[in-house]
Amino acid sequence: MEAKTQPVGLPGWLRIVLIGRNPRRTLVRIAVLVAVVFLTRTYVLLPIRVKGPSMLPTYQEGGVNFVNRLAYHRSEPKRGDVVAIRLAGEHMMFMKRIIGLPGETVQFHDGHVLINGQILDEPYLARPCDWEGPPKTLAPGWYYVVGDNRSMPEMLHEEGMTPRYRIVGKILLCKNLFASSPP
Amino acid sequence: MQKSFRLIAALTVIGMGIWGARMLFPSPEQAIRSRLLNLARTLSFERKDGILSRGLKAQNFLECFTLDVVVSLDSRAYGARTLTGRDELQQALLVALNHEAGGGLKVEFLDINVTLGPDKQTAVADLTAKATVAGERDFLVQEFNFMLKKAGGQWLIYRVETVKTLSRREVIRRIPV
Repeated sequence: MEAKTQPVGLPGWLRIVLIGRNPRRTLVRIAVLVAVVFLTRTYVLLPIRVKGPSMLPTYQEGGVNFVNRLAYHRSEPKRGDVVAIRLAGEHMMFMKRIIGLPGETVQFHDGHVLINGQILDEPYLARPCDWEGPPKTLAPGWYYVVGDNRSMPEMLHEEGMTPRYRIVGKILLCKNLFASSPP
Repeated sequence: MQKSFRLIAALTVIGMGIWGARMLFPSPEQAIRSRLLNLARTLSFERKDGILSRGLKAQNFLECFTLDVVVSLDSRAYGARTLTGRDELQQALLVALNHEAGGGLKVEFLDINVTLGPDKQTAVADLTAKATVAGERDFLVQEFNFMLKKAGGQWLIYRVETVKTLSRREVIRRIPV
């Protein structure tokens, strides 16, 4: 007498849905996917969640964006670029806009930013600014960064000079994903 | 099958051995990281923690420092202040715990980078501190340098200073006429 044995485990259709017709190929696909995600996350695009009001109204709070780590691989940061600046590491970063380049003199005066004494055109600003300060000349390799929300008190707004090595990369999207609607 | 099982078992034993050795004999970097993470835990408290519990935490907190510790703080929002010695630090801590965040405070130390001195008896740890007051949406972030030295087999903090991630400029707020 011959007895047919049924494989114990998942039903056939569920097995196909979960691990595919060819488990070995599925395993390779998963390994490739994990490697691609890991390499992209480590060397190309760093996902970030934006907290705080300093980049309003350009970037809303709570939204998601990405830092393009390769943006300055072959070129230097430019004025107007929104960049991520690391603190001790990359778990927490400042998101700021570059307004001053190495060697330039930056000053806040009469509601404007002056670069080497000339008013900087900043179409991204929505609210007036009343910050005042003495001119600062940037050393080689240093950039002046500030948020777009200049209506908030200056003492609560992190801005200033940062060395090049702290700039992790350029913000990829010009608007945050999944951000709450503007106030 | 048996071969695979043996291989997995061997790898598990090796892994556990390495983990055990690291736990029993931590490297200076690990010991410093552990001390700083413990410091962050002692700084955190919940609303339900009583005065006694907070006092004990403050005591544990102080044991991380040398007697002549210097804490030099310079934040944009709170200005510059230097605390010298454990007693001054304890006073400031108790005031902060009781008044600044009565509802609870969560302190985290992120991205701890430890650099050992050439003599292996001193070290500098650069880290980002994140403080969240219970019930508040926003949090405070500040980069710090902790300087430590080995004394009596323990790593003790002898100097703490804030790092200006973005260099400050002098700004005078214009008064509208």
